[in-house]
Parts: sequence; C-alpha cells; structure tokens
Amino acid sequence: MASILINAIKRLHVSPQIRLCSLNSAAVTTTTANKTINILKKEWEFPPLYTKPREVWIENLDSVEEKKLGLIELHPMVYAAPPRIDIIHSNVIWQRKYRWVSWAHTKTRAEVRGGGKKPWPQKGLGRARHGSIRSPLFRGGGVAHGPRSGKSHFFMLPFHLRLHGLTTTLSAKLAQDDLHIVKDLELPTDESQYLVDLIENRNWGPSVLIIDDTDYAPRNITAATDNLLHVNIMPVYGLNVYSMLKHDTLVLTQAAAEKIEEKLLYHLHSDNRERMKKFKIDQV
Amino acid sequence: MSWLTSRILSVVWKPTVNVVRTRYHADKKRLVRRYGYQEKIWRGGLLPRSEGKALPIPEYRPDNPWSVRKALFGQNDYIDILGPGNLHPVKTLYNIPSWIRGVSGHEYHILLRKKKMWAKTGTPRLRPTKWKEIQKRLSFLYRKLNRKTKTGPSPI
Repeated sequence: MASILINAIKRLHVSPQIRLCSLNSAAVTTTTANKTINILKKEWEFPPLYTKPREVWIENLDSVEEKKLGLIELHPMVYAAPPRIDIIHSNVIWQRKYRWVSWAHTKTRAEVRGGGKKPWPQKGLGRARHGSIRSPLFRGGGVAHGPRSGKSHFFMLPFHLRLHGLTTTLSAKLAQDDLHIVKDLELPTDESQYLVDLIENRNWGPSVLIIDDTDYAPRNITAATDNLLHVNIMPVYGLNVYSMLKHDTLVLTQAAAEKIEEKLLYHLHSDNRERMKKFKIDQV
Repeated sequence: MSWLTSRILSVVWKPTVNVVRTRYHADKKRLVRRYGYQEKIWRGGLLPRSEGKALPIPEYRPDNPWSVRKALFGQNDYIDILGPGNLHPVKTLYNIPSWIRGVSGHEYHILLRKKKMWAKTGTPRLRPTKWKEIQKRLSFLYRKLNRKTKTGPSPI
C-alpha cells in the first residue's frame, strides 16, 4: 500500500521545496524523478523579515516552446508588495500630467490687430455704444478669459509614492501571472514571426514589454521587434508604471529583475530626506 | 330508432371540438382618433438629402495606439530611482521648451519666467511684436492681480 502511494507521488513530479539557510547566494540543485532544477537562493543586504521570498521560473527565449531553466528568488518587498490600486492610479495621473503643457491660445482684445478707433459716435445714432471693434462682443474681436498658451499641469508626485508605485505595479503584475523572467534575450533568428509565435505559444498578452539591464539589446531581438509595434524593449531605467500597465505582459531578463530589485531595495532602506523635499525647478 | 342512429353516430364520428378562448380585448376595435385627417408631416424617418453637396463627414481614421510616441510614453519617468541617481526625470522632458519644463504656476508666473529667459535671447530684437505683447500682458496681469483682486488666505 505504501509503495503504491510513493509511486503515485513520484509520478506527480512533486519536488520537495526545502528552504535552506544559506549565507551566500547559492544555486541549490533539487533532483526530481527525471530532471534537475536550479533554485537560485539569494542573500540580500536587506533580507525579508516577515514574508517569504517569491520563487519565479526562469524561462528561455531560444525556442518557441517554453523551457524552465531554473527558479529565482525575488524579494517580497519589491515583487510582493500590497496591491495598492490608489498608488498605481496616482502614479499614472502624475506621469500623464507632469509632461502635459496645453498650447491652446486665444488673442485678447489688446492683441487682435486694429480696433483703435471708436467705431461710431457715442450718442445720436440710435445704436449701441461701443469703443472698439475688437471688443469680445464683436465678431472677429478678442476672446475674454480664453486659454492662454503655455498652461502647465506640472506637479511632482512625492518620492515614496513613486517608489511604491513601482513596487506595487511589479507585484500586481507578478500576482496576475503577467511578469515573466527570462535568462537572456538571445533569439535564434531575427524574424518577427518567431517572436509572434513565441508570444502566442506562451499565452503572453498581445503586447509585451521587455526590460533588459543594458542599453543595447542583442541584434536579433531588436530586429525582430522592429516591425512589432506592440512589443517594446526598454532599459531598466526606462521602466515605469504607465508602460507596465499599457503592455499586457512584462518580461524581465534575470539581470534586469535583480537590478530593479537592488535599486528599489536601496531606496526603500535608505535616508531619502533630500528626495522628499519640495521640488524646486532650478535645483534639480 | 332515431335514438339508436344517434347513438351509433356518436360512437363512429366524433366532432372535433375547438376551445375558443374569449379574446375580448384583442378583438375589440381600436378607436381611430382624428378620423379622415391627413398627416402632413413626414413620418418616414430622415429625409434624403438630395440637392447640393453632402455635408462633410470626416473619414474615420483611427489613430494607432502603438505609435512610437504612445508605445514608449512615460519612459524614463523613474530615472531618479532606477537610474544612476544623478538625473531628475524633469531633465528628460526634451520635447517641452526649457522655459516651461517642470514649471507650475498661473499664467503670470509662467509668463514672468518666459520673459526672463527670453530676454537674453534674440527674441526682443527678432520678434518685437511678440515681445511687446508679453510685456503688455504682464503689466495687465500685474495690475489685475495686485490692484483688482483680493489675495487668498495667508499660508501661515
């Protein structure tokens, strides 16, 4: 009876998830019935105190079919933050507004050409009194209280709201299975169709945002995404809340995921009083 | 005898019986109002617009939501957090003129800053009318704000 149960468990390929107390970043190899999995255990400078690290599969891009190359541990403060929709919303509003300048313009009665002479005498004609043909009452006259060009909607969202905007959006993406981690961005071909098939095969959304930690992505993937307008590549410092929401799926390279984690953890644990000060235009 | 034939007939042939429901309201005649009146207003829908040119309805051209500008909207907005740390996102707003980049304020404040920054350029010499209008507008707004409107409550 016991042997039957053991065989059944073996057939399910359930690998025992044992958390090892390692002091340094170490690859722990777990052997299952027929293959080995590398679990990348990490030792952070700021280890999570109350929550467990999130384990995410590392996938490949060099074949259309998905292969799981290993597991990576991600810090829960960055990738498992509470999903604060209000913070995400305020971040998106900030991103749209801080660059928004309205150039709508109308001329006032002083700026419309002409209109210096009194159109007709004040009295004696039975007509209404007027002093200028460019008054707002006249056709072709100036506009009263119209839009004046160069209206800015700029404001700076507080630093920690922007920081938590990134963590909560990354966490929401991971929780919704829309965040994938790949080993690197090396493709076997530079054809767009390969990438289209890959996205279709893996049920990634129609639009994909790929984040790499270098400024120059490999040639094949840049050539393949060149014609696909909804597949975009960004460096780590280009990552932002709006793009993460605009694209259905977020694909991070392993190096990018670690770099984002490192940057966000650094800011979450450092003295940010300089950054929290009121924004002054000529001092940035 | 007749009793017998009727008896036999009733066994051999049975009449089909239709149950007729009372359809009082369905069958009653409608009251025709204004009988004999010819409606002169066209009730057949929109009139065909036959004479003259058709009104210009612009051709529907949906814009591309994945144009480069829209697909990469917001890139580098968090460069002070994710980048090397010496660059503020306001410094990356290259497509906005420098005199309004990262500025917030009312028309008067923005115009003051614009005038201050344009004074050193060739604008006063090259665009004298524009320059005069800026100064005219500034003096108008100065008089309006300082002499004709109350200021808000003091911040302290």
